[in-house]
Amino acid sequence: MNSSNPPQAAEYGGDEVSAIVLDPGYSTTRAGFAGEDAPKSLIPTYYGKYNANGQEKLIFGDDVFVTPRPGLSVHNPIGKDGIVEDWDLAEKVWEYSFTSRLTGGKPGNPFQNGLNDIPHEELPTEMEVETHEKPLADSPLLMTESGWNPAKAREKTIEVAMENWGSPAYYQARTGVLAAFASGKASALVVDIGASNISITPVHDGMILKRGVQHSPLGGDYISSQIRALFKSNSPQPITITPHYLISSKTAVEAGQPPQAKYKTFPPEKAPDASYRSLLEDRTLSEFKECVVQVWPGPNKLAATGPTGVSNEEMARTTPGRPFEFPDGYNQVFGADRFRVVESLFDAKAALPDPDSPFPAPTQAQTVPELIKASLGGVDVDIRPHLLANVVVTGASSLLYGFTDRLNHELMQLFPGPRVRISAPGNTAERRFASWIGGSILASLGTFHQMWISKKEYEEHGPNIVEKRCK
Amino acid sequence: MPPFKDEHILLIAPGSQTTLAQLGLPETFTPARFRFPTRMFPAAEKGEYEPYRIRERRQEAKISNGTDRLKEDVEMKDAEPAAQEGTANGETTDKPATTEGAEQSEGAVEIENKEEPKTVEEILYEEDVTSDQGAIYPIENGRIVDWPCFFAHLTHIYNTLSPPFHTPIMLIAQPVWSARDREAITQFVFEKFKAPAFSLMDSALAVCYGYGTSTATIIDVGKGKVDVTAVTDFAVNEHGRGIALEGCGGDAMTDRLVELLGSKGFTREMCEQLKRSNITEILPPGTPIPGDAATARQGANPAAAASTGADGTTNSVPRGPGDGTQAGTEDNNAEDDEGVLDVAAIVSGNTTEYLANMEKEKATNKKGAVEPKQARLPNSKKEKASFQFEEFVPLEGDDAVVNGSRRYIRHSREVEVSVERFLTATPRQQSEDRLTSGVLEDIATQIHHTILAVPDATKRSELWDSLVIVGNGSKVRGFTQALLGVITQKFMLSPSGTIFTSEIPSTFTTPMPTGGTNTPAPMGQPGPMYHPAAHGVNPLLVAATHNNPGMPQMTPGTPSMDLSHHRSSGHSQTPNSVKTLKLPEYFPDFKDQGNSNAPGASGNAGGAAGGPGASQGGRGMEEAVFLGAQMAAKVFFVLDQGLSKGYMSRVEYNENGPSAIHEFVL
Repeated sequence: MNSSNPPQAAEYGGDEVSAIVLDPGYSTTRAGFAGEDAPKSLIPTYYGKYNANGQEKLIFGDDVFVTPRPGLSVHNPIGKDGIVEDWDLAEKVWEYSFTSRLTGGKPGNPFQNGLNDIPHEELPTEMEVETHEKPLADSPLLMTESGWNPAKAREKTIEVAMENWGSPAYYQARTGVLAAFASGKASALVVDIGASNISITPVHDGMILKRGVQHSPLGGDYISSQIRALFKSNSPQPITITPHYLISSKTAVEAGQPPQAKYKTFPPEKAPDASYRSLLEDRTLSEFKECVVQVWPGPNKLAATGPTGVSNEEMARTTPGRPFEFPDGYNQVFGADRFRVVESLFDAKAALPDPDSPFPAPTQAQTVPELIKASLGGVDVDIRPHLLANVVVTGASSLLYGFTDRLNHELMQLFPGPRVRISAPGNTAERRFASWIGGSILASLGTFHQMWISKKEYEEHGPNIVEKRCK
Repeated sequence: MPPFKDEHILLIAPGSQTTLAQLGLPETFTPARFRFPTRMFPAAEKGEYEPYRIRERRQEAKISNGTDRLKEDVEMKDAEPAAQEGTANGETTDKPATTEGAEQSEGAVEIENKEEPKTVEEILYEEDVTSDQGAIYPIENGRIVDWPCFFAHLTHIYNTLSPPFHTPIMLIAQPVWSARDREAITQFVFEKFKAPAFSLMDSALAVCYGYGTSTATIIDVGKGKVDVTAVTDFAVNEHGRGIALEGCGGDAMTDRLVELLGSKGFTREMCEQLKRSNITEILPPGTPIPGDAATARQGANPAAAASTGADGTTNSVPRGPGDGTQAGTEDNNAEDDEGVLDVAAIVSGNTTEYLANMEKEKATNKKGAVEPKQARLPNSKKEKASFQFEEFVPLEGDDAVVNGSRRYIRHSREVEVSVERFLTATPRQQSEDRLTSGVLEDIATQIHHTILAVPDATKRSELWDSLVIVGNGSKVRGFTQALLGVITQKFMLSPSGTIFTSEIPSTFTTPMPTGGTNTPAPMGQPGPMYHPAAHGVNPLLVAATHNNPGMPQMTPGTPSMDLSHHRSSGHSQTPNSVKTLKLPEYFPDFKDQGNSNAPGASGNAGGAAGGPGASQGGRGMEEAVFLGAQMAAKVFFVLDQGLSKGYMSRVEYNENGPSAIHEFVL
């Protein structure tokens, strides 16, 4: 091709639009285009609320972690059990998750975007442009939901998507099913360790087995509360977490020595709310979980005695400790304690007591092994071995060091007969976003196209259609 | 498809304030050849845009010699801005020439316009190059807010550079652009420019290419926003990325100066120039501010420092002379006479020559007059300092009317400022919206958040060790040092925490509270420099070495060499050390930013309202993004020929449509 030749005029004429996959969780909301391997947009489901110049303002996205604002309080539109409580705000948070990185604001007026040269006299005098552009007017939407989402909430969700966002097509799928798809399995026992809940979902041939769905509140937030309990009873002195935003500078101190930091003070009328502080404390705690916390790998419980006759506690003590430094400079090495904070996920008796904790002391039935047992009890005997051979572990809290090892040991003990096989992707993103990735795979399949609920069908049958179509 | 050639590659890097552009890759990569202000003016026709402000002027003209006079007019007008630029940036080489060229072509168009109506009363359309009144800035804080205007701007750049048909285009994408935004731009480029290939490259990644590194934390300090991006193995980490963080850019620092100095008669324009001048400096945290050492220690507690520093000083410390700061006091300050140009001389004679002479005169005067007293003290020790404030003053009155077009003269005078110039990064008092702790601390918090959000924990310490600070907002003197200082005092882990024993050699200066914060370290100490905030090295030493162009910029490091051995694998807290990346040395045209603030390099005529292509002195690594764009263009378009999927070809566009750009997005 010579550079002086004009290019041909052939131009793209298709209208392929990729669907948007929205995976709303309690702690984070994931959104991205179907067909991609990770969600482009990851925002906290928490949102901030504050007053400026007499007006109430809302903040969405990561900014809430970074910028303290006067009187800022933090809320979550989703309840502890993973069911939406505040629909107005849930809609706003979800909308932000895809408008911020994916669809952007309003598209430009097609008459002025420089691509359509319309002679002047032909320009329509009154354009029929909708005054309020709907954010999803040209993208089909696939949303995920937990296995125990009530029918009412499902209907409400499709209503939001169809009417408020103007989506041309919609589908709703269970997180468990999608997580199984992400691992390339049509049948699996999905163990999802989330922030507010842990759940066990048996999936058979791409269908959720409803009677086997089990969940309990011993998720990441519960582990955080256990860590707080540990800090309270810590020796030589109890540890208080002071988040970074309250500290202007810290000075290095020796391990175990009281912190010497310069603190920031805000005037009382401007100080952020306690909920903000708690959110940022949780941020430090998740760093603590990443760096320090470890699941006793088994075999047997931490409280039990190992095969050599030495108690596991004793063994745990001999492993080298892990240091952690808090935002105010206080640092300490955590020894066997770092195993204890997660032990109650497997052994309810090992829970650290804390009267102030919002979580009641766990019962044995809420622990992971018992949930799995109960879940398998709810499904047909014939498919149990098949499910046990396909245990899929997902959820960010399952990334705790040693978690899958322990789970493996527990399952082997519970079900000595059948073959137990755990599949847990080593890739952090795949583990954290399994249900989103499954949705991305599903929505980009050619055969899935007939599954969409179109706008027309919705208008004909009403929101109830989601109960019939999305089983 | 035949291979693309070096000289036929169009690079465009849009920013909120300035858009960098270049056609062709030079032998050795240089800063962008063209700098367009990112703004357009509404044209007479609705929905269309002009690159310069067009003013309508009615004039009575005789039919007989009307055309002659008009031509003369245009020539005069063209000569003047060129002269202004020439004098303003003595050291910039090719920029004035190129922009001039652009102007002249515009001028030619204008002549045609004007020659047509030959009536008694003529309407003249003239370009007003010095004004940005009524301008539309299509990009705000990185976001495209006005699409038609943005596309008109791209078209203007394209037409100005007028590439041949077979020219691939590389556009640098702002992090804040959403997926749909990128698709819209892709569609526009393919359908309007008929480009054979198009590459949309993330600005943070471009910086990585510029620095020749695969993993880095890019901190892009722009006009109104800051972007913080963690790049690992040439992949941008979208999660936790600090996108368009508002209230942290260069404007925020100017705002702070306005807040501090507004009551003393400083205009925003003056503060802007003060910020750009070489006397404004951000001192590392813990450095006493000269003049009020007793009261304020900046940084130890920024919030407190702000209140004492700002309010305290206004009350207790004698300020810069009121005279110098009053606007328009030409007669009572001898210095100011320099700024006044002999209007008659300009009007009648050769403008260029006259202005050049003035400049020369001024330079010689200055050598003798200003220096002697303060010469010995470094800026950070001086309580007061002065800078050259330059502005365009429209010439009103008889001359202007007689001669037809309005003209401006450059007017410069000396303005003295007190310690406020060290407080640009301190928090604003009147911010309703944010409980900010100053620009630096907000950025540091974002960096911490961004790096912590990187899923691969093993990469985090490397990210801390390879900070790259780019963007023209970071050109304020001392910015990098001070930012590192803030990170150190807020987030740095103590060595005892990481090693978890106290087996540190005693010679190893751990930042203990008793460690003699005021004892300067031995001057001849080899090895890494310690940061003053943590270790009590004389800040002047750091400042001095930092400004030394011969020294790589990695000085602000902290004890890093031994710690890595003690790190437990994988799961460990960060940061154990913080460093900025070393500059690539093989592109001499991109200089260390330390140089950009060398005395005399900071002059920028006109500031924000400057003429088209008004370039500021010393383009350095703040614009590494453009160096990276050139590197990437060379690799993708010329060397790889599409093997690395670095660009989307026209064939692919025709098959898959704009949304396929995401497969090629870098």
